[in-house]
Amino acid sequence: MADITPDSLKDERSFLDRILPRWNVWQWLFVTVCVILCLWVLLPIYLLVLSAFSPRDAVFAWPKAFLPTDISTDTIAFFFGVRGVLSAFLNSVLVAALTMIISIGLGAPAGYALARFRFRGKDSFRLMIVMTRAFPIAILALPLTVTFIKLGLYDTVFGVALVHSALALPFAVLISSSLFMGIPFELEEAAWTMGCTRAQAFWRVVMPIATPGLAAAAIFAFVISWNEVFAATILTLQQPTLTAFLLTTLSESPLYFRFAGGFFLVVPALIFIFAVRKYLFSMWGIANR
Amino acid sequence: MITERTLPYWLLAPSLIFLLLLFAYPFADAFFIAFRAEGQWTLENFRTMIEDINFGLSFWNTLLLVLIVVPLQLAIALTMAMMLTKIRAGRDLVLYVWTIPLGISDLAAGVVWLALLSERGYINTILSSLGILDGPALWLSYETPVALFIAVVLAETWRATAIVMVILVAGVQLIPKEYNEAAEIFGASAWKRFTKVTLPLLKPSLQTALILRTLLAFEVFAVVVALGGRDLPVLMGEAFLWQFDYRDNGVASAYAVLTLVISIAFTVLYLRVLRVKEEAQ
Amino acid sequence: MSGIYVEQVRKVFGNFEALKSVSLDVQPEEFTVLLGPSGCGKTTLLRIIAGLETETSGTLKIGDRQVNGVPPRGRNIAMVFQNYAVFPHLTIFENIAFGLRMKKMLNSEIEPRVKKAAGMMHIEHLLERYSGQLSGGQRQRVAVARALAMEPEVLLMDEPLSNLDALLRLEMRAELKGLLAQSRTTTIYVTHDQVEAMSLADRIAVMHGGHIIQYDRPIEVYQNPANEFCGGFIGNPPMNFLETNRENGHCKVAGARLPAPRAGSERVTLGIRPEDVVVTDQTAPEHLTGQVTVVEPLGPHNLLTLSVDQQLFRVTTAADSPIRSGQEVHLALAPGRLRWFDSENGQALH
Repeated sequence: MADITPDSLKDERSFLDRILPRWNVWQWLFVTVCVILCLWVLLPIYLLVLSAFSPRDAVFAWPKAFLPTDISTDTIAFFFGVRGVLSAFLNSVLVAALTMIISIGLGAPAGYALARFRFRGKDSFRLMIVMTRAFPIAILALPLTVTFIKLGLYDTVFGVALVHSALALPFAVLISSSLFMGIPFELEEAAWTMGCTRAQAFWRVVMPIATPGLAAAAIFAFVISWNEVFAATILTLQQPTLTAFLLTTLSESPLYFRFAGGFFLVVPALIFIFAVRKYLFSMWGIANR
Repeated sequence: MITERTLPYWLLAPSLIFLLLLFAYPFADAFFIAFRAEGQWTLENFRTMIEDINFGLSFWNTLLLVLIVVPLQLAIALTMAMMLTKIRAGRDLVLYVWTIPLGISDLAAGVVWLALLSERGYINTILSSLGILDGPALWLSYETPVALFIAVVLAETWRATAIVMVILVAGVQLIPKEYNEAAEIFGASAWKRFTKVTLPLLKPSLQTALILRTLLAFEVFAVVVALGGRDLPVLMGEAFLWQFDYRDNGVASAYAVLTLVISIAFTVLYLRVLRVKEEAQ
Repeated sequence: MSGIYVEQVRKVFGNFEALKSVSLDVQPEEFTVLLGPSGCGKTTLLRIIAGLETETSGTLKIGDRQVNGVPPRGRNIAMVFQNYAVFPHLTIFENIAFGLRMKKMLNSEIEPRVKKAAGMMHIEHLLERYSGQLSGGQRQRVAVARALAMEPEVLLMDEPLSNLDALLRLEMRAELKGLLAQSRTTTIYVTHDQVEAMSLADRIAVMHGGHIIQYDRPIEVYQNPANEFCGGFIGNPPMNFLETNRENGHCKVAGARLPAPRAGSERVTLGIRPEDVVVTDQTAPEHLTGQVTVVEPLGPHNLLTLSVDQQLFRVTTAADSPIRSGQEVHLALAPGRLRWFDSENGQALH
């Protein structure tokens, strides 16, 4: 064996070889594709945010800067200064909050019934709930304009919330049903044997355990409403939601105004996905069965 | 009386009544409105719809969008789902990033891509710095229908691939690891394992994703309006136009009924085709 | 303490009759085990007694109180569930205090009761934790402590040890036995594990197909099974059965001539427990002959599987026994331990 001298141990690899992890071609390809797909999602959002936080005249700039060199709230301030934006924003929040309350308030009891009882008509009800997915929103919203005008619900926050609740309710039923199914019935039975009525057992044992999941389902309902465009637009005139306001003013509004509007549509989405990331799979898994 | 027997019905009643009032009733009403004019049953609304100059265009545009976007999304989502099974470090982060578009509305997605594709937008900046363009160029106008169409495809793919991916990832998680390991021990290559083990077992999820995405793709609307205004007619856009601008509830409902019929037809088709394959296996 | 009296209780699910007119009288302070294979109706019976299931017909009494139609909360019972049912959103202290709080007891009364119950189950150090931080065995202890803290008239336990691993089960079994003997609470305990039943019970009710087949002291059930099912279900390895015909007051079994039972039909079955058989190389008129097919050394003894009259037969021998498979052996049956059953219906013949 040759003597090992300090000389023979000298690292002869190039600088790049030394700083890069030792992967084979396939691993490099894998990581590259992965990064590209992440950028594909993130880059457009970043650029929208960048546009929204640039000064108004930056939309006319050429070529565009990809780095935030000129941060400004000028565009955002202008956006909220436009007549109707603030009230549309508040309408959106109100409609979404109402949708959340109605869909969970009506849907959770039904979900509980599906999870805990065996009764006639259970399967038909479940099927009906799943079937509602096949309906285009237009087929609900268009006839309802006529009905809502008659009932005085047209162009009201409550009217839009009703339609949005119809969209969110099936999700609420299915999600809460699977939530309740995930809570062992034994826990309730144990509470009964320890002196609880059915209602007491529900409030003291089931609800505390189900609350985080129901909150996630409520956020889900909020976002369904927040994102809905078609029904909100045709059911309102003076009281539009943010989506309705943006859609109807798109053609005559300047680009920077649209970017700021887009920004305020996207932000809740980011928060939503972050808040419910733990429940994402169970919820979408159920909602799409 | 609330008893143990009737309790489930009491719990169901509110949502059932709500859905009857806001689903079943308007659904029936839509047909009523679409097939009636001036107090009698008629196909007048459908004739107006078909004779409209934009009808054919909107029909083919929508169909073409569905046929391009849905397979594209399925392919990307499948790639993502398979990659997620291999990622060791940072899987949760990557998954989170890929699911972000789940919460983004079609209108917002349209605006996002508007920021990229506008005349003096980011994509043009890149293209001109690569020497492909000389300067700002207009993509999203009636003069460049193909570019506009591609923009809609990009935005739709960007926004709605996440739903498909989530369904597929959930499906992949249901497949026991043992199947793949067994196949590996019997000498199947990675590609063979994917096509002979994973894909067949993933079929229920693929079917769900396909049906769901197709149904939603036929409703494409706000993305198109945000990117092209009225320059790219689609079915829902026409329904909106007839309702909101022309104030003709009948023709708008006719569009809605047509969209529903096409959606159902596609769902039935998928169920048929996928079942035949199942028998052939 | 109160007894539990079940009279002719039936339970029908759709068109499946889970319980077919079952009667049971558990005396005050008695420990009764409902033993049987899965699907025999034992859990259904327990749940009916708890009020979690409604009987189709029959009467139920706890003490001298008829409890038909009384909801679980009104029966003054406590129950330990198979999966423990420890509330995940409450601390262990609050879990044990749950039932006491429902009784609107004062904090000053609750605390000593909880501490005492926790002390009995050796979980005082876990009171501030949540069930998610506990092992299966610890959760099991919480479930029992929670039931004991209620100081109920009647304690109901549904397979409480079945989710523990073998070693822990052994430990808990002995501990439960000591504890429940102290507390003197009337207890009904459901299990499919015959060793558990033998170990714990004052009386065992063997259930099969919705019936109680035998309801007696463990040793009686073991030594004098009411039918072939009881003999085969209790004991490990189970009782051996050899079917034969009676001929002039005698039965010929595998080369042996044995006096036949007086009652019963033409076909009768001989039953004998493995430990009541001695393997010998001596022939005698009353010895059976068989061929060893498998020898399993189990440590303390060897388990032999034999073919006797083409029927399966198991015996145990000393661990150092030289017997090898393939060998022909003779079997001496302990006198007085022979049991006869009517082959037609499996009932014991006396």
